[in-house]
Amino acid sequence: MSEFFGPLDSEGRVPPRQQTRIAAFLISAHGALARQFAFTLPMKLDSAWQTELNAQLHRESEIISLLLRATSWVPDLTLGYMAASWETAWFPAPMEGIPDRSLAVAAGLATLAHAVHAGIRPAALLPLEANADDPFVMALRRIEFESGRLLQAQILFLKGPELAPFRNAVSTALERRHAEIGKLWAEALEGVGITIPRAE
Amino acid sequence: MPFLSHGSYRIRYELDGPAIGPAYVLVNGLTQYAELWAAYRDALVAKQFRVATFDLLGQGTSDKPALFINQDDQVAALDLLIGELGDGPVFLSGISFGGLIALRYAITHGKRLSGLVPMSCFAELSPQLLLLGNAMRTGLILGGTSYLQDLLLPMNLSDQWLKPLLDKLDSVKRQGWLVNDVYALQNLMESFLDFEPLTPQLASIGVPTMILNGEFDFLTPRALHETLRVHIPNSSLVIIPRAYHAFTLEKPALTADLLARFAEDVLAGRWQGNKAVWIAPEEAGGALAPFPAGYDHLRAIPTQGMNP
Repeated sequence: MSEFFGPLDSEGRVPPRQQTRIAAFLISAHGALARQFAFTLPMKLDSAWQTELNAQLHRESEIISLLLRATSWVPDLTLGYMAASWETAWFPAPMEGIPDRSLAVAAGLATLAHAVHAGIRPAALLPLEANADDPFVMALRRIEFESGRLLQAQILFLKGPELAPFRNAVSTALERRHAEIGKLWAEALEGVGITIPRAE
Repeated sequence: MPFLSHGSYRIRYELDGPAIGPAYVLVNGLTQYAELWAAYRDALVAKQFRVATFDLLGQGTSDKPALFINQDDQVAALDLLIGELGDGPVFLSGISFGGLIALRYAITHGKRLSGLVPMSCFAELSPQLLLLGNAMRTGLILGGTSYLQDLLLPMNLSDQWLKPLLDKLDSVKRQGWLVNDVYALQNLMESFLDFEPLTPQLASIGVPTMILNGEFDFLTPRALHETLRVHIPNSSLVIIPRAYHAFTLEKPALTADLLARFAEDVLAGRWQGNKAVWIAPEEAGGALAPFPAGYDHLRAIPTQGMNP
């Protein structure tokens, strides 16, 4: 087990089995976010903040498109049941403790997006020797960088005035989401020989 | 790797050196992690100190609260660590953000300390520091941890340190980039959103205090350290020659030597703060020199002071 991808091939590329597993996980997570943003986005915007929702939807779509094209895919028989557990984890979960249903749903989506954008760092798995010109390597760096930017919308919302009265509920739900998604991420990586520090 | 528990969060720490004897507790700067004190561990343990290092909440291998990190929780974590050290003398030092946490600890738990060494530190946010902090937060948001590192390296380290590393800066930055997460650093920075100046409480710090400030530190310049010197009763200010904000990284041998000598002087009853201003030697083991009488230590040019 290693904290990084490898062993790399002679051209500094990540093994296809690891590429497949990581790309499948990321597509599942970002795909779920894209779907949920798409369902939330109205055909005609009526609030300024919905422009950010539009941006989030298209950035998530870009991440999926990028991974589909940059990954060296190989068959992975374990993906079937793993993907099922991932997809179950992304189900919309309105935040408990918030009486306003639409606010609770939005807060639930924001916790999922925060946990994915903040807690999943695929570029941190790249060893120093990874080929910077390889499309998969570049894709992971781009996804991590863009996630840091996408995260800002979730931070602003979760720390913002609408949710201020529910600060404890928000913190609790967010920590739980982080732990849940971090566990799935760690398990996905362990299956392809990568171990990362995780909370007990 | 041992951990302390603060509520549901875990704080990673390390103790080195003899279990009996004076201890030094070292508190990281905002973007740092405990391993950066390795040279201090070696130097201080060689002088029979016990050395405690740890990652603050939100840093390195400690837990990273997802949304809010309160500075009071950092002080509570520090208190847990100091509680692990038994009843012997404890000297507390921290750099920059870590210096601020050390100041907070000294204000609230001063009786547990034998000495305090704030380094590159501040008790209030001057307009410059506030705006620099805001700009660094924006840089982190827009450009990620790597961009923040790009800003901090040239701001806080000298040309002499940077020049031989210019073609390998990526490797210099890598460990900090790996162990620090954008959201956690942002939470640490946003712990200043409700910051209240500590200046009115500094007079309550009764322990011997040596304030260390780099000669060329422009992130936390002399005036911010002067606030500490003026208000902490048993203090002195030591200026580190040719040093910038991150002199603990650049001059570990000199700084560790100053820490050890300060603690030895305090324990031997030789320490006299007197709110004096000193100039540190260029190298470890050299003599400290009093700042020349009649000149203003707040100026960069030799201007005669307002007070003789």
